[in-house]
Amino acid sequence: MEERKLTEKESLEVITAMIARTKERYIGNGNILLMWGYLVVCVTILLWIMLATTQQNVWNWLWFAIPLIGFPVTIIMARKEQRENGVTTYSDKVTSRLWTIFGISELVLMLMCLGFSLFLNINCWASMLVYSCIGAPLAEIAQGIFLRENSLCAGGIVGLAVGLVTLCCVASGVVLNANWYLPLFIFGFVCMMIIPGHVINHKAKVNYKVKNI
Amino acid sequence: MKELNPLLHSQLRLAVMSILMNVEEADFVYLKEKTESTAGNLSVQLDKLSSAGYISIEKGMSGKRPRTACSVTSEGRKAFEEYVETLKTYLGI
Repeated sequence: MEERKLTEKESLEVITAMIARTKERYIGNGNILLMWGYLVVCVTILLWIMLATTQQNVWNWLWFAIPLIGFPVTIIMARKEQRENGVTTYSDKVTSRLWTIFGISELVLMLMCLGFSLFLNINCWASMLVYSCIGAPLAEIAQGIFLRENSLCAGGIVGLAVGLVTLCCVASGVVLNANWYLPLFIFGFVCMMIIPGHVINHKAKVNYKVKNI
Repeated sequence: MKELNPLLHSQLRLAVMSILMNVEEADFVYLKEKTESTAGNLSVQLDKLSSAGYISIEKGMSGKRPRTACSVTSEGRKAFEEYVETLKTYLGI
C-alpha cells in the first residue's frame, strides 16, 4: 500500500477492506485456560491422595500452590500472547479485565480467609471453593459470549453447576468430604478449563492451516 | 460541499485509521502486515497521524524486542467519523 490520494470510491473500498481484515474472527489460543485447568486438577489430585493416605488436614495448605504458581505464569503467558498477536481488540480488553477482577477478588478472599483462620480461629475456607466454582464459570461464560465460543459457555455452565452444588452444601452445613467433593471439583475444572482449552487450541490450529494454504 | 480531511484522504493513513478504529491497540508489525505497506512508509504516515493528534504511539520493549503500539485518540475518532460522514455526502449514500 502506498501513500497516495484517493477517489471517494477508493476511500470507501479502503475502509471496507481494512474493517474486513480486522474483523477476522480471532479467539486466540487456550493455553492460559489449559495452564489453569491442569494446575488446579494436578494440585487437587495431589491433595486428594495426601488427604486420603495421611488423614491430615495440614495438606490443605497445598491449595495455596494454585494462585502462587498460576498468577505469575498467567502474567508471563498473557504478555507473550499480546506480543505475538500484535493487536488488542475490545473483547480482549473486556475479558482480560473480567479475569483480572476475578483474580484480584479471589486473592483478597484468600487473604481474608487466612486472617479469619489465624486471628479469629474461624474456618471459612469453604467460601474459597464456593467463590472459585461460581466466579470462574461466570467469567468464562461471559468470555464465551464475547468470543462466540460455545465450548467456553458449555464448560462454564458445567463449572457453574458444580459451584451451585458447593454453595448449597456449604449453606446447608453438608461437609465437603474429600472422597466425593474433590473428584467433583476435578470434574468441574476439567469441563470448565481443560476441554475448552483443547477445543480452542484445535480451532486455532485449523484456522492457522486454512490461512496458510 | 465540505472538503474531505486531507490528512485522512490518503490510502495508507486512511487504512491505518480504519484498522485502529476497530481495535483497542495495534502494534507496528500488525499494521504493516494488514496494510501491506513498507516499514519506512508506514513509519512516516504514523508520525503524521500522531503529529495531528489522531493516534497515540507508545514505544516500549516487549521482552527483548522493541514494540510500537498505536491506538486512536478521541480526536482521531471524531475526525474519522466526520470523514466518513463527508464521504457519504460525496457518494450520495
